[in-house]
Amino acid sequence: MSETCVVGKSAPRVDGPAKVSGKSQYGADIDIPGALFLKVLRSKTPHGMVKRIDVAEALKIPGVVRVFTHADVPGENSYGIIVKDQPALTDQVRFRGDALALVAAETEEAAKQALEVIKVEIEELPPLYDVWSAMAEKAQAIHAKGNILTVSRVKKGDAAAALRTAAVVVSRRYTTQRVEHSYIETEAGVAYMDNGILVIKAGTQNPHYDRRDVSRVLGLPMHKVRIIQAATGGGFGGKLDISVQCFLGLAALKLGRPVRMVYDRRESIAATGKRHPFLVEYTSAADREGKLLAVKAKIIGDTGAYASYGPATLNRAAVHATGPYEVPNVDIEALCVYTNNPFSGAMRGFGTPQMAFAAESQMDLLAQELELTPLEIRRRNVLRPGSLTATGQRLDHSVGISATLEAAWEKAGRVMPGLGGEVK
Amino acid sequence: MEKFQLKMKVNGRTVTVAVEPGLRLLDVLRDVLHLTGTKEGCGEGECGACSVILDGELVDSCLVLAPQAHGKEVVTIEGISREGELDALQRAFLTAGAVQCGYCTPGMILAAKALLSRNPNPGRQEIARGISGNLCRCTGYAKIVKAVELAAAELQQKEGAAGV
Ligand code: FES
Ligand code: FES
Repeated sequence: MSETCVVGKSAPRVDGPAKVSGKSQYGADIDIPGALFLKVLRSKTPHGMVKRIDVAEALKIPGVVRVFTHADVPGENSYGIIVKDQPALTDQVRFRGDALALVAAETEEAAKQALEVIKVEIEELPPLYDVWSAMAEKAQAIHAKGNILTVSRVKKGDAAAALRTAAVVVSRRYTTQRVEHSYIETEAGVAYMDNGILVIKAGTQNPHYDRRDVSRVLGLPMHKVRIIQAATGGGFGGKLDISVQCFLGLAALKLGRPVRMVYDRRESIAATGKRHPFLVEYTSAADREGKLLAVKAKIIGDTGAYASYGPATLNRAAVHATGPYEVPNVDIEALCVYTNNPFSGAMRGFGTPQMAFAAESQMDLLAQELELTPLEIRRRNVLRPGSLTATGQRLDHSVGISATLEAAWEKAGRVMPGLGGEVK
Repeated sequence: MEKFQLKMKVNGRTVTVAVEPGLRLLDVLRDVLHLTGTKEGCGEGECGACSVILDGELVDSCLVLAPQAHGKEVVTIEGISREGELDALQRAFLTAGAVQCGYCTPGMILAAKALLSRNPNPGRQEIARGISGNLCRCTGYAKIVKAVELAAAELQQKEGAAGV
């Protein structure tokens, strides 16, 4: 066999030595002499219209250089990976944590003091904290186009007919919780002007998208914006969204001075995306032998105040709703719904972990009904080469689930002898 | 407020700086001495990213006020390697794949260092306990434990060789 020089060999990671010796520069580590410190005033009200922001007292604090509000945003005041629905600085509050004002000051202390004395008048609207009230007919629209952002459907065969004739049918409702990514590095970065080009160095998973949104919000052509990814202390999907980038860009551009900003843990949790909480109504049907006949599911994902990766997450949830199993009749509907909760976006798995919980629970329940073991019912249904997925894709090549299942079972038998009395 | 004359030894070097007495040791290290290898993850003693060794004890530098370090000796991640040579623990972290985003790494290495100086031959449980004040969101810890084992074994071997 011919030898390759890379494939199959471990390569030392290029950033390894710098990381173990503390030399890697994360967003908060970048030394930028003379930089102003930025802090954001965040809404404590979940829903309402901003009537007035009075910054006069804040500007009197020694060291405070400028306070920006929505009125100072030079370009389109909206960004977002899929839907441009999130303002950099808002005049309409959609969750506790929305950004109202941005303070630039000589010291962090002065910036913090300024936050205390900015007066904001908000005409409050009733908050919609759950998907049902957000979807109710007369619910206040959180965004102009209404609270149901997207509906994704996956249909194959005739699920209704299969459910009528199946030997066993199991229906359950599942809910999953909101999850914070909790990367150990909070959001941070610096920005400065370099010969008419705005340079932003920040922890991010998405420099190219950041650049597009920063140029949109600041009304700058793309070639006037440079995003440089600083060493990034974990992301797990949470650093795909804009965090500090637009704030840094706005202040550096308007003030012509270097700026820096670091979220503390509280702000990081309050202001950034989460894993979507799901509500799933799931019905599965099987024949006497335990072969799946149909899956019908309605999935509602709470995307909170802004879309972020919500439409993609719910789409993925619909596509993966049947798990790694072959199901001939499928009827899935997945809704992505706005509420006044913290916004939900990408987090490891994009909606599939939530669906795995529902789909696998259903398999266990079906097994119980049919007096099969949990292992056996899975063996009878796993996708194999040649199987058709819920979306009708034929899996022509390798499919790993069967081998994985057997390997896991074999290992379980070794580490937990006598497990479950399962017949091999 | 009157400044505090802080004198301490950092990574073997004596430093004297005038600081606000309310400053945390973490701020002195990062903002005054520009030793940014020590990280802040929570600012309240939960994550261990700010771990340093203070007079031989592992501490969260976000919970130590600068004056509390007066007259003491601090070791940060920058003081672990000698003349650009990585320490056994640093090398073991690389070999074992115990570094992902790397943000917890300086604190983890210091926690491991403090452990090995107390107990040069720790078992898995002892390693787990030794790093229990340090959160890592990337690795799942198994490789970090492995790295500490590797380093301990290497150090033991060296000791043995030196003893012969
Ligand atoms: S920053 Fe000190 S323990 Fe988290
Ligand atoms: S390597 Fe990312 S937190 Fe540990």
